[in-house]
Amino acid sequence: MDAPNLIAAVQALQPDATVREKTDRPTLIVPAEGLVALATRLRDDPALKFELLEAHTAIDWIEEDRFELLYLLASIAHGHVLTLSVSVDRENPEVPTLCNVYPIAEWLERESYDLMGILYDDHPDLRRLFLEDDWVGFPLRKDYEDDFMLERPE
Amino acid sequence: MGVITDKLPGVLEPVPGGQVLLTAVDQLINWSRSNSLWPLTFGTSCCAIEMMMATGAARHDMARFGAEVARPSPRQADLLVIAGTIVKRMAPRLRTLYEQMAEPRYVMATGSCAICGGPFMYDSYTTIRGADEVIPVDVYVPGCPPRPEAFFYGLLTLQKMIREGESIRHPGERRRPVLAALPEGMTLDDIRKEMQDLLSHDANVKMVDELAEGAHFSAELKDF
Repeated sequence: MDAPNLIAAVQALQPDATVREKTDRPTLIVPAEGLVALATRLRDDPALKFELLEAHTAIDWIEEDRFELLYLLASIAHGHVLTLSVSVDRENPEVPTLCNVYPIAEWLERESYDLMGILYDDHPDLRRLFLEDDWVGFPLRKDYEDDFMLERPE
Repeated sequence: MGVITDKLPGVLEPVPGGQVLLTAVDQLINWSRSNSLWPLTFGTSCCAIEMMMATGAARHDMARFGAEVARPSPRQADLLVIAGTIVKRMAPRLRTLYEQMAEPRYVMATGSCAICGGPFMYDSYTTIRGADEVIPVDVYVPGCPPRPEAFFYGLLTLQKMIREGESIRHPGERRRPVLAALPEGMTLDDIRKEMQDLLSHDANVKMVDELAEGAHFSAELKDF
């Protein structure tokens, strides 16, 4: 399915979704509330069949006071790709987990919890992945500071 | 080595001429040590790819210098090549590996990250600023990553250090760490001039800058 048809098909499932212009991959901005239901339908719909969650990352937009979560979906059966973008509040970054839809999401979400501090509701095992268990803070946030870091001289 | 290095001075030194012999034994031991370095299979990032090319691949073949077999166990290795970034979580493991290695052990730090943290020196929450914060380093090889030639220059420098280094009477005494970089004051023009001198004996070689001046071109065109 090509990009305009794909976007139309997903918008039929989720009317709140808005399209982001000028992207390589077709990208839809969706609200956090219906994310699990939408992902389930994207996976199970025979015409869409997004059976693969390729990657999941978070971006810290500190000026806009929000985190952007990106879910990169792909369909092996149909050979098309889609990106879902979800914005969450920076003070309270809670988002439903996709573990029950895509099992790989468990580790991808652990990574973005570890480095960005995104909190996933109903995640079965939300622990740190790369850093030590007693690490304080989330180092990929733009406002992260600790004693070890060396300031770049001007 | 334990028996020889521990007992030999006591046995030989009272004998007439024994001290001379001891110096000769020193040279023999250092020579054999320098030519049978066994590196540890240890690499943490992109410099390790360059190290693998230098050690394992046929084109550059480290076996020519006696440092042939990369050992998977630190108990069998005596050369630790720190190839890559050392992060906070790796530092204790690196220290453990170093302490497990057989004495006398040597350390080469290759690449910017192992020397000072490199591009991750500032604003990094996890990169150790130089492997010498964790273990003592004998030879530093600059580069990002170093070319195989630079790697071998570092290895040859280390071999030279070992040959002139420890003696049986003073075990553990090392020369100071060195930076295996180009000699000070040498510029790109010097290298170019040396290459020109080396190549000028070959009649078929023509220098690009001379060609650019047009002398050769016009002469050859006239002949043509």
